[in-house]
Amino acid sequence: MEIVVCLKPVPDAETRLRPRADGSRLDPEGVKFVLAGYDESAVEQALLLREAIAGSKVHAVSFGPPRWTEEVLRAAIALGCDTATAVESAGEEAGDPIAAAEGLLGAVEGMPHDLVLLGKQAGDDEEGLVPGALAEMLGMPHFGYVVDLHWDGAAQRLRFGRSAEAGQETWESPLPCVIGLQQAWNDPRTAKLPAILKSRRAPIAKVSPPAPSPERAASVPERFALPPPRTGAKMIAYRTPEEAAQQLVRILKEEAKVFP
Amino acid sequence: MPDFSLSPEHESLRDMARKFARTEMVPHAAECDRAARFPEEIYRKAHALGLMNLNVPAEWGGSGLSLFEQCLIVEELAYACGGMTTSIIANCLALEPILLGASPEQLKRYLPSFCAEYHLASFCLTEPGGGSDAGAIRTRARKDGDEYVLDGEKCFITNAPHASLYTVFATLDPQQRHRGISAFVVPRSAKGLTPGKDEEKMGHRASSTSTVRFEGVRVPAADRLGEEGEGFSLAMRTLDMTRTPIGALATGIAQAALDHAARYALKRETFGKPIAEHQAIQIKLANMAQAVHAARLLTWYAAWTIDGGQKGTLESSIAKCFASDAALHVADEAIQTFGGYGYMKEYPVEKLLRDAKLTQIYEGANEIQRTVIARELLRGYS
Ligand SMILES: Cc1cc2nc3c(=O)[nH]c(=O)nc-3n(C[C@H](O)[C@H](O)[C@H](O)COP(=O)(O)OP(=O)(O)OC[C@H]3O[C@@H](n4cnc5c(N)ncnc54)[C@H](O)[C@@H]3O)c2cc1C
Repeated sequence: MEIVVCLKPVPDAETRLRPRADGSRLDPEGVKFVLAGYDESAVEQALLLREAIAGSKVHAVSFGPPRWTEEVLRAAIALGCDTATAVESAGEEAGDPIAAAEGLLGAVEGMPHDLVLLGKQAGDDEEGLVPGALAEMLGMPHFGYVVDLHWDGAAQRLRFGRSAEAGQETWESPLPCVIGLQQAWNDPRTAKLPAILKSRRAPIAKVSPPAPSPERAASVPERFALPPPRTGAKMIAYRTPEEAAQQLVRILKEEAKVFP
Repeated sequence: MPDFSLSPEHESLRDMARKFARTEMVPHAAECDRAARFPEEIYRKAHALGLMNLNVPAEWGGSGLSLFEQCLIVEELAYACGGMTTSIIANCLALEPILLGASPEQLKRYLPSFCAEYHLASFCLTEPGGGSDAGAIRTRARKDGDEYVLDGEKCFITNAPHASLYTVFATLDPQQRHRGISAFVVPRSAKGLTPGKDEEKMGHRASSTSTVRFEGVRVPAADRLGEEGEGFSLAMRTLDMTRTPIGALATGIAQAALDHAARYALKRETFGKPIAEHQAIQIKLANMAQAVHAARLLTWYAAWTIDGGQKGTLESSIAKCFASDAALHVADEAIQTFGGYGYMKEYPVEKLLRDAKLTQIYEGANEIQRTVIARELLRGYS
């Protein structure tokens, strides 16, 4: 099975984020972009399927400015992906889901692809639009919120669950299709040290994104701001639980005025 | 121009070690310290990720890192827990004599099978009668046909109760001092080899340390490293390679102490303002930061010198000695910054002081480092 995993570079949760001087969006200066969230699960699931189905390959694809995609693709190779392809964007449009899907489309069409795996939503903006958009452009069925993904070799079908409000749906689908993954069979693995070193020398194929379609204006964020700083918490000194409760009630009544 | 920037490769190694340290080690550091627990599950994970046999070339199943790369990793691990780091890097110490002195046949026989699975090895040099004067060891090796028979006792041996392989230094003739010493590779299964019980230690309590007794232990001549009488030189060349990572270990402890102190100083208020706004505390933090930076740079410099093919005895002794003194000082000042809370076991800084102390003692006590530094230094003037 030829499996393509599409990976979005997202800001490292440990870096300190700040808006650009004009307040229009995140300032990428000094920010590390990493493989994170559901995309990590997508890589794990792709590798598990490869291990389960003889002769399979996993191809990692990422859309964004080269500095962002490189880290993500090297991480994917260190984890065990067979090939890596970067679709180079200038950065301005990297956050636009349709532009991302169009960018990924060219790369995916240029390589063998039985199954296209993505995280159900990105680790940063969590919009979850790219899997569906890419499936539409590829003319393939799309399933989101997928868990418990298995290949039934005898029936030549994928079998999987979709987590729903009140339980889990059970589905099957022939290939090819696009899957937005919620969870792999197990926690994403950690890359081993020698593999990390080797991944640094692995080749990354480069693909240019298509020219943006003229009938569609890319979405551009208007303003990017950090949440306001939280005001200080108040510690209550008490000796007994009763005393703590009394004080809490008093504060909620008189200071916070939550109830009269 | 010298370049202090890290390559992307270096950064990814450091980030990987940092992630392991913060997700796997930090959550258990206080508990293992309190209970003196040897967290084998963490060591097994470290092995599985390639964090254990850092100095063994990849062709023999290790990670094949340069000394500089080892230092980046060791600092990150030690930031989380000095004791766990000592146990994780003890294999590097124990295997270095093999890397330096083994024949191609021996390398193939010992290393691939050892590195492929989780195994610990112990470096057995120190004896109850003395550690600094390694030329005076008493553990005897007697030649008997195609074998040697080892008798004696080693002490303070890291990981000894858990090891499956021991590199042992013993003398064929105590009269000959340094020239009488040979090195041997001895498996745990050897009859007459008995590790003692875990020592109760001040710090590095997640690590395990014990004596090892040798009573008529028969070692085939094929398990001697190098020539007869080459053991002392192998031990010294080993320590030339492993001293620098001890500088990195000390730097990691010092950085942790500085981070704790700076964060606390911004939060703790006295006389109506954060203590970080009192100049006495600022000066403390500034001096701590200087010590941490200098320790790291001296360590990097020693690693760079040795990676470049030089022996680096002076540079590595300076790095180990300075960084370990810095670690003790910075940990001490971190406790002072915390005031009474720093003295309480509930807070993380008193452990750092206890852990830092060892770095002044093992792998050559700092008095010995200073002797070496002076000797190397004066050579340039005479
Ligand atoms: C937790 C721990 C783990 C260890 N792990 C290992 C291990 O895995 N393998 C191993 O072989 N050893 C190990 N050691 C032993 C360690 O390397 C020795 O403790 C160290 O070398 C000092 O030796 P000593 O304890 O015998 O002290 P001594 O040699 O008795 O020294 C006592 C004091 O005198 C000073 N001194 C000695 N000679 C001189 C001199 N000529 N001039 C000035 N001052 C001098 C020393 O610096 C020290 O301050 C470990 C020790 C500890 C505590």
